[in-house]
Amino acid sequence: MTIGDVLASIASVTFVAGVLRVATPILLPALGGLISDLAGVINIALEGTMLAAAFTGVAVSALTQNAWAGLAGALAVSALVSLILGFAHLHLRADLILAGIAVNFLASGGTVFALYSLTGDKGTSSRLASLTMPYVHVPVLRDLPVLGPVLSGQNLLVYVAFAMVAVVWVFLYRTVAGTHLRAVGSNPDAAATAGIDVRRTRYLALVYSGLLAGLGGAHMSMGYLQLFQRDMTAGRGFIALAAVFLGGRHPVGTLLAALLFGAADALATQLGSLRIPPQYVQMIPYLVTVAALVVYGAARQRAAGRRQRAMANRLVRTEAGG
Amino acid sequence: MTVEAASPAARALDRAQILRQRRRQALSQAARTVVTVAVALAVGFAITVAVSDRPALAFRALLTGPVSSLSRVGTWIEDATTLTLLGLAIAVVFRARQFSLLAEGQLYLGALAAGIVGLHLPLPGGLHLTAGLAAAALAGFAFGLVPGALKAIYNANEIVSTLMLNVVAVRLYDLLLTYWLKPPTAGYTWSDPLLPSAILPRLAGTRINAAAALALAMVAAVWVLLYRTPWGYELRMVGANPHFARYGGIPTRRVIVLSMALSGIPAGLAGAHLVMGVHQRLILNISLGLAFEGIVVALMAGNHPLLVPVTALAYSYLRIGGDIMERTAAVGSDIVRIIQATIILLITAQLTRVRRVRRDTGDDR
Repeated sequence: MTIGDVLASIASVTFVAGVLRVATPILLPALGGLISDLAGVINIALEGTMLAAAFTGVAVSALTQNAWAGLAGALAVSALVSLILGFAHLHLRADLILAGIAVNFLASGGTVFALYSLTGDKGTSSRLASLTMPYVHVPVLRDLPVLGPVLSGQNLLVYVAFAMVAVVWVFLYRTVAGTHLRAVGSNPDAAATAGIDVRRTRYLALVYSGLLAGLGGAHMSMGYLQLFQRDMTAGRGFIALAAVFLGGRHPVGTLLAALLFGAADALATQLGSLRIPPQYVQMIPYLVTVAALVVYGAARQRAAGRRQRAMANRLVRTEAGG
Repeated sequence: MTVEAASPAARALDRAQILRQRRRQALSQAARTVVTVAVALAVGFAITVAVSDRPALAFRALLTGPVSSLSRVGTWIEDATTLTLLGLAIAVVFRARQFSLLAEGQLYLGALAAGIVGLHLPLPGGLHLTAGLAAAALAGFAFGLVPGALKAIYNANEIVSTLMLNVVAVRLYDLLLTYWLKPPTAGYTWSDPLLPSAILPRLAGTRINAAAALALAMVAAVWVLLYRTPWGYELRMVGANPHFARYGGIPTRRVIVLSMALSGIPAGLAGAHLVMGVHQRLILNISLGLAFEGIVVALMAGNHPLLVPVTALAYSYLRIGGDIMERTAAVGSDIVRIIQATIILLITAQLTRVRRVRRDTGDDR
């Protein structure tokens, strides 16, 4: 494969469709991370929550032969995992980061143990006849000339992920509960004084965040791949946290950051067909992120500087006028 | 009129009262710790009973395994050495309230630097060791400058940048190991053994090596730095209240950059310890998230350098006991992870409760 071939394949429809697919299991936990972060409880356990959900989805769908039951099981388990984290932090007052790390250990060990008990295999669930979520061919989108193949025919959870951006945005900025949640995050004492139950709000934020991570986990094992592998989330929970901060702690920014990760990841796969050691290629997404971080920071600083100068000018004018 | 006017006798009485209160607190803290550890172990035992057909044997392996023979004690101390160095690295940045997770990447680059010096820079005896350790410390320091500068200049979030840079460091290590340092004939992805002059000397008959003493020296060095130098004062002020520190004239940007860079010294040395002491060569996946274990160690020590070796020993005991349990009683590493997680959860819940009590009583902590 030459560089020309690679460039052509990047411009292709399958590449863009691939980006959406790869970005999904980062976007969903990232939205979850955003909610909990805005409530002032950073969720280090996104990784473990995804893993637990990915396993449960496979196990339940295989046992019941119903993909929807699998999804429901995945969501129930991710809510449970988040409640454990919330209980440890909010009731027992364990350090949130430590508790998050412990929950990740718990999920990593627990899924392998459960997998082994169920299948006798410690690596993958290939012996289980698990199901996947349906692939959706959207009637109108399908017939669009260029976008059709990109937008249609994806796994249901891919559409859910992108819809969730809007849902989370509306929740955070257009509902009372969302406003309370942000108030608790920005100043818990003031929020408590205003009569908001801080602990309850944080519990809920952790559960919402767990449910979103759980959707991401279900996509990993019931869409992105069609089985469970031990530690299959491979750090996506942490990349998701990175996406939250890179996206300026806003749903739309988080979406863009997740797409950036997805694009860089898909690009790395494409470049892998050139004769370059894979390690170079695998560095790309991460270097791109650092570069994006610098550009974003510099732009924000320039904007802040401009604001400051404008304010100074106005002050000078007012004083001259007065 | 003022407090100064209190008589010496009254002051002595106050001091006696404070001391008595402190003693009472220390006692109740000790009692709580004992109870927590007992509960954690009981939970661990319950899990073991549920999954093992020989639970007593398995649990004895976890509890007494690390001290059941001299060589196992050596393995325990060896592991605690790595965790002490990583715990110190995390404690320094967390003290400055910089959530840098770069220790993993700094460990990899430290290991790489120590490995290159140990393989390709023949020097006489002691000098070779010093060069290897210095190269590792320098690599960790230099790598720390990157996210430090990005944060100080561009206000780039350090959690994001360090998570990303970690991956870059690990890939760089893989790349150089696979395409340059690995001999073409090697069956595994690993380098030749280091030159003998670059291997840390071991204590007779055990795996304990000279890095254990180095780790203790680093504990002292970090303590002096944090509590006995103006620079350490600045760092702790930035960590306690960055706005106040800035208004007080502390150069916060310099503190940010230097805290991340300096924490690279123990982290890089942890890498050197793995290469020059533990494995005596460069191997693939030399650390699978050891820095996370370092975070656990640092947070359990309340980010206090003098407590770091204590919590590192305790945590290593659990890790090595788990290994022995896996080997002698066929209890899987997955179960060991679950037990570890449970114990971490219970112990952190307890530790933070004590710390909160102290804050309530206005005791300076």
